[in-house]
Amino acid sequence: MGLIDIARSKSPWILHFDAGACNGCDIELLACLTPVYDVERFGIINIGNPKHADVLLVTGTVNKRSARVLRNLYDQMPEPKAVVAIGACALSGGVFHQCYNILGGVDSVLPVDVYVPGCAPKPEAIIEGVVMALGKMQEREHARKRGAA
Amino acid sequence: MMAEYLAALAAVLVAPFIGGVLMGIDRIVSARLQSRQGPPLFQPFYDILKLFAKRRMAANTFQMISVSVYLASMVLSLALLFMGQDLLVLLFILALGNIMLILGGFSVKSPYSQLGSQREVIVLLAYEPLLVCMVVGTYIMTGSFSAASIFGLERPLALSMPAFVITQALVMAMKLHKSPFDVSASHHAHQELVRGIYTEFSGPQMAVIELAHLYELVLLLGFIALFWHTNLGIGIALALACYGAVIVLDNISARMTTRWMFGFTWSFGLALAAANLAALYATGPLPR
Amino acid sequence: MGLLEPLLKISPLTLAAVLVFSPALFGVVVFAVRTKWSRKGVVTVAGWVLTLAAITVFAIAFVSRTALSATLPAQAAPWSMIVAGGDLALLAAILVIAVRFRSAMVLVVALVQLAVVLYAELTGGHAADAAPAVFIDWLSVVMVMIVSVIGSIIVVYGLPYMKEHERHLGIDEAGSHRPGFFLTMLVFLGAMNGLVIFDDLRFVFFFWEVTTLCSFLLIRHDATELANTNALRALWMNTLGGVGFAAAIALFGAHAHTYSVQALLHSPMGAAASLPILAALACLMFAAFTKSAQMPFHSWLLGAMVAPTPVSALLHSSTMVKAGVYLLMRFAPAFHGTQLSNVLAIAGGFTFVATAFLAIGQTNAKKILAYSTISNLGLIIACTGLNRPLALAAAVMLLIFHAISKGLLFMACGVVEHGIHSRDIEDMQGLVNRMPLTTLIMVIGILSMLLPPFGVLIAKLAAIEASVHLPLAMGMLVIGSTLTVAFWTKWTGRLLTSEPGAVHPKIEHLHVMYFVPLVLLTVGAVAFSLAVFPLLTELVEPAVTQYYALVPGAAGGVDLSSDVLAVPWMLVFGFMATAVVVPVLVARTRPDEEVGAYMCGEQIETPNGSGFITAAEQSCALSIRGHYFERYVGEETHGLWMTVVAALLMAAMLGAVALR
Repeated sequence: MGLIDIARSKSPWILHFDAGACNGCDIELLACLTPVYDVERFGIINIGNPKHADVLLVTGTVNKRSARVLRNLYDQMPEPKAVVAIGACALSGGVFHQCYNILGGVDSVLPVDVYVPGCAPKPEAIIEGVVMALGKMQEREHARKRGAA
Repeated sequence: MMAEYLAALAAVLVAPFIGGVLMGIDRIVSARLQSRQGPPLFQPFYDILKLFAKRRMAANTFQMISVSVYLASMVLSLALLFMGQDLLVLLFILALGNIMLILGGFSVKSPYSQLGSQREVIVLLAYEPLLVCMVVGTYIMTGSFSAASIFGLERPLALSMPAFVITQALVMAMKLHKSPFDVSASHHAHQELVRGIYTEFSGPQMAVIELAHLYELVLLLGFIALFWHTNLGIGIALALACYGAVIVLDNISARMTTRWMFGFTWSFGLALAAANLAALYATGPLPR
Repeated sequence: MGLLEPLLKISPLTLAAVLVFSPALFGVVVFAVRTKWSRKGVVTVAGWVLTLAAITVFAIAFVSRTALSATLPAQAAPWSMIVAGGDLALLAAILVIAVRFRSAMVLVVALVQLAVVLYAELTGGHAADAAPAVFIDWLSVVMVMIVSVIGSIIVVYGLPYMKEHERHLGIDEAGSHRPGFFLTMLVFLGAMNGLVIFDDLRFVFFFWEVTTLCSFLLIRHDATELANTNALRALWMNTLGGVGFAAAIALFGAHAHTYSVQALLHSPMGAAASLPILAALACLMFAAFTKSAQMPFHSWLLGAMVAPTPVSALLHSSTMVKAGVYLLMRFAPAFHGTQLSNVLAIAGGFTFVATAFLAIGQTNAKKILAYSTISNLGLIIACTGLNRPLALAAAVMLLIFHAISKGLLFMACGVVEHGIHSRDIEDMQGLVNRMPLTTLIMVIGILSMLLPPFGVLIAKLAAIEASVHLPLAMGMLVIGSTLTVAFWTKWTGRLLTSEPGAVHPKIEHLHVMYFVPLVLLTVGAVAFSLAVFPLLTELVEPAVTQYYALVPGAAGGVDLSSDVLAVPWMLVFGFMATAVVVPVLVARTRPDEEVGAYMCGEQIETPNGSGFITAAEQSCALSIRGHYFERYVGEETHGLWMTVVAALLMAAMLGAVALR
């Protein structure tokens, strides 16, 4: 593992987007920042700006209104980046999935790396999801390098 | 002459490491003050390396020029300080870097970075007179603007210019974007105007800015250390004490408005500076 | 030196004649022969003649290393009568203008001046015996170079500008006002040259009044109601200054019995001077304040921006306002070491701070430039008042660098105005995409006014260093320099604000007579900053040395060594140049890397550029404005008290006369 890989795995900056959640998942997500879980131990920062972010965390269903925004935010994140869908709604649309305005889960708009199930998932699960996403992001980056070489 | 250049070179090479560790301490101390454990000590280095490794994304080429000049001005200022050069020139080279960063923020038609830049102009206006007054104070004491001349004094500057230790700490809080002065952007990832003036800088550009911040921190601490030149150990301790005070201030205060910040520094800060300058004019050695 | 040998033989009188009268002659030709080509040709040739004459003067002074002086042949003409006649003719012209435009203010001031001039003529009889002379020392050489070279560049730039200007106003070639315009511009340049090379105060006064009259004609060139009002204001303020000048001449004639500046400077001056002489100096300061548009007389220069841009460029950079500070610098040894000098420093410093403060609230580009000019002249006057070698060196450097940068900025503004039909800096937002070349030139011009390692800032730092012994002035310089940063930065920010997708704009086409003057001055601004040390040792130091030779007790060499100048500026320059060039070479943004601004994910493209979708699902174009803090720095709020304070400072100068 090179220096860059270490740095990447130790400094995932997070962008959190609520695509249409009931706020349950959001509360769990924000709990990760609190002293009990303190994700800054792992260098995780909730940065709030796609241009600085490495990992996009999405909660809630994707509806006709939020799909465009979600796509735009993803497009403004510089590579390498990863996407984590958090909670049942983000996975599939959850209980809302047949609703008139719902497109479905996050993967109906973006390529999702990690699905964190639960309604709502526990903070530990969310943290593990971010770690897994980092692993997949690294793998993808290595594959790209190999492909280029 | 050669020795001065070597000292400057050494300072330029070592400064980011010292700055990085100090920033790491800042983050740990801040976390502890919030009952958290905080990131590893070397977190700032991880962040910078990662940012450098991100792929480029930009709105225009000028952004890269602006951060490059920003970094260059910080490096050059530090080098000039260690070469014992003119402090007044140093301040304006420092201002050059800040102005270029502001222009970089202005260069994108983005509501957040534009507003951040507007506010950063006010921040610059707020602290610049304090810095220049400090340098004028050293002139009255030494009869010269050069940093080297301070070492010719017998008594530490902190004894004759105590008010400027406080103003320097204020300037440090403003330049590092610490609360309550974090109006144009926030030092940590606290969100004000998203990321304020930094909003549109991404990846490597942001890495350059973060690197420049490390230099800036060492430079600001170096300024304060000069206040006790007779024993640099005490000087460094004084600088670190100011840094600690700034970190605590950051954690116990809320963000104030731009207008308050400007009013506070131009009334309280400048009054302190003017009082001390008046005392120096009255009692200090006369300028040549 | 063999090559330059013939040059040394040229009589200073010949040079003076070329510098002063050739522009007027060319002007008359332009006025008389009204074809397009003759105008272009003659104006260009006049520019070249002036430039070459100025370079010749420079070369002679450089080789001979002494001041050039020569006396007019006393028997050749009744010089006193001629100059007195000239003065009266000018006053008659001003009186005619006063009647024609029904301006009571001008009428009263001109009549007062008439009385003072007549009094001076009647009382100073025996002082006029000595033959008048030309005297060209380094200060004059610097001024001649500024007037002739930059002035010529501006006049040539005026050719395409005025054509465009008249086309815009719908004036055809037959009814064109251009012949008269260029005549006035050229006479103006000649008068400025006369003002700086003649030693006899009565001659200086004559040319001083010529510039007053020329500036009136130029400001009211467009003959709109506003132009008339503003031109009349400029006229009465400058005529009022003329009253001060005439009073000084009367006092000098009656109490020093000479009109020769050099003779005056060699007589006991400073603290040793008698009360009337100090009063005369205070009168000269008053005259200089009106001409250099210092507070409380700054309004005439602000009003002067109604004139076409070449006029503004000429008034602000190389002529007119520079005449006032020149006069003060010329007489600086005379008030060295007096309280008057200190009050002068504070009055200049006050204008420096106050106008920099007012500039923050402006959106009109020409008004910002006007405030910046007044501010910088205040700084130069403050330097003169500080009256130390380093301060004088700073003043000379500011004179040079300011002339270059301000000429450049006004001309660039004129080009932009013709490009976008606005002089509002809000309308210049994103100019970098529309007129990249002009924007680049403008940004270099602006940065050369405020950033290291450009010359203006180096001079400013030297001024701060020289001001430490006068704490009040120092405080003003510090705060003024800080405020200056604000308005320039905000303006540059507007220019550079761009939207992605337009980052590879086409470079606009500029008329060759726009392009060449702009590029010349841009290169000049950078090159002179690079060459700041040769400039200092070869040009500024001799000027200051000659000046200081006159100050009692300070004769001999002057010590210009300062910490500011000891900085390895070349290292700074190299470092910064690298920092700009490297990203341009290796990190240029590729089209596939471009991304728009962050707008919470709601960004879209609209026909009017980037925009966003509102909460009501409406698409809305993004519009961004700069913040000008009108509530805090408005002219309405602060203009009055500032004028009052400035007027009090003027009164304090008179008080300082009594204090010595």
